[in-house]
Amino acid sequence: MRKLAILALAGLILVTAGATFADARDLNDQTDCNTNHMKCREYTLNLDAPWYKVAVLLTACDLAFGKCMLGI
Amino acid sequence: MATGVIAGTVPGGGRSLLKNRGPGQPVPRRKAVEVPVAADGRDEAVLGRPLALAADADRLYVADALDCAIKVFTKDGRFLRSFGRKGAGPGELSFPSGVAVSGDEVVVADKLNLRIQTYGREGAARGGFKVPFAPDRVFSLGGGRILVTGNPTGRRPEETILHIYDAAGQPAWRGLEARASKDRVFDAFRNMVLVCPGDEGGFFVIYKSGGREILEYAPSGVLRKAIGVDERYAYPTVSIPAGGGAMKLDGFCWAASRDRGLFYLAAAESVDGKDLGPGRWVSVLDGQGRLRAVVELPCAVHRFLVSDGRMFAIDDEGALRIFEVGP
Repeated sequence: MRKLAILALAGLILVTAGATFADARDLNDQTDCNTNHMKCREYTLNLDAPWYKVAVLLTACDLAFGKCMLGI
Repeated sequence: MATGVIAGTVPGGGRSLLKNRGPGQPVPRRKAVEVPVAADGRDEAVLGRPLALAADADRLYVADALDCAIKVFTKDGRFLRSFGRKGAGPGELSFPSGVAVSGDEVVVADKLNLRIQTYGREGAARGGFKVPFAPDRVFSLGGGRILVTGNPTGRRPEETILHIYDAAGQPAWRGLEARASKDRVFDAFRNMVLVCPGDEGGFFVIYKSGGREILEYAPSGVLRKAIGVDERYAYPTVSIPAGGGAMKLDGFCWAASRDRGLFYLAAAESVDGKDLGPGRWVSVLDGQGRLRAVVELPCAVHRFLVSDGRMFAIDDEGALRIFEVGP
C-alpha cells in the first residue's frame, strides 16, 4: 500500500513537472526555463497543501528546472 | 523518519494540547460562533481557489486564482459580484494571489502577469504598474502606499521579500532580505511570511516557520522591534526529509490577522504526526505578544481576515466561513 502511494506520488510529480516544462524543453531557452520554474514554484507555494507535499513538489520544480537548462 | 514535537502549552498545535500544562495564568478559551452564510447557486459565486481576502466597511473581497477574478461579498457572506477575467490585458488577471482595499480602490496582485492592478470598488479597471517579480500578497499601508510580498526564487542575489510602492506605483522601499542557503526547498519554507497592516502606515511580519516573534516595522520600512510571543502559544515542529538529510520545520503560524490592536494567530496543526497543515485553534495576542484568549474554530482554516471582531475564513474545501471571534 505504501509503495503504491509512493509510486502514485512519483507519477503525479513527473506528470506535473512534464506538463509545466514541456514547452521549455523544446525551446531550450533559458528565459522560458526561468519563467516555468517561477510558475511551478508559485503554484506549489499557493497550493495550501501540507508542507511535506509542498517540499516534494518544490523539489520536483527544481529538478525540472535543471533538466530544462540542460536541454534534456 | 519524520517526527512530531510540540512546542508550547496551549492549544494551537494538536489534540494533545487540550490541557494547559504549562506555567503562567490560565488562558480563557472559547468556541467561535459561526455566522451562517446563505448558499448561492450561481457559478460565479463559488470560490475556485481563494488565496486572499480584504475588507472595507461593508464588503469582503476575495482573490480567486482559479477563476482569475475578485469576488465581492457582503460581510454577511452574500455574493454581490465578480470582476476580472483571465488574460493579460487591462483589467484582466492571471493567478491573482493578493487583494487589498486602498482608499477608493481595490488593489490586486496579478501574479503571473507580474503586475499590480487597481480597480474601482465596483470593479472598473483603473490601471496599475509592473513589478520585477511575481507579486504574492498585497496590503494597503494608507496614503496610497502598497506593501507587496514576493516569494524569493533563490536564484537571484539579494532578493527581498517586502516591497513598498507609493501612490504613483514607484518603488519606495524594499527589505527583509531572503534567507538563502544551498537548500532552496528549505529556504522556501524559511522565507514564508505573513503580513498584518498596522496603524498609521506601519506593518507587522510573522515568519510562518520562524521564531516566537512578531516583527514590527515603521511606515518607512525601519524595523522597530521584535515582539516576543507568549511562551504559552503552542505550535508543532516536524522533521521533513530534504537534501539527503532532514529539515526541522516549526509550524509557528499558518495564518494571521490583526484587528483593533489584537493579533489573531493560527498555528499549523500536526498532520498524522509527520506533516504540518492548517489549524483550527486561533490564539488572540495583545500588542505586547501576551496571550489573551484561545478560540476554537469548528474547522481548520487556511487563511483568514479579522475585521471588527468577525473572522472571514477559507476552509479546507475552499469555502467562505464567517465566525465571531472578537473579545
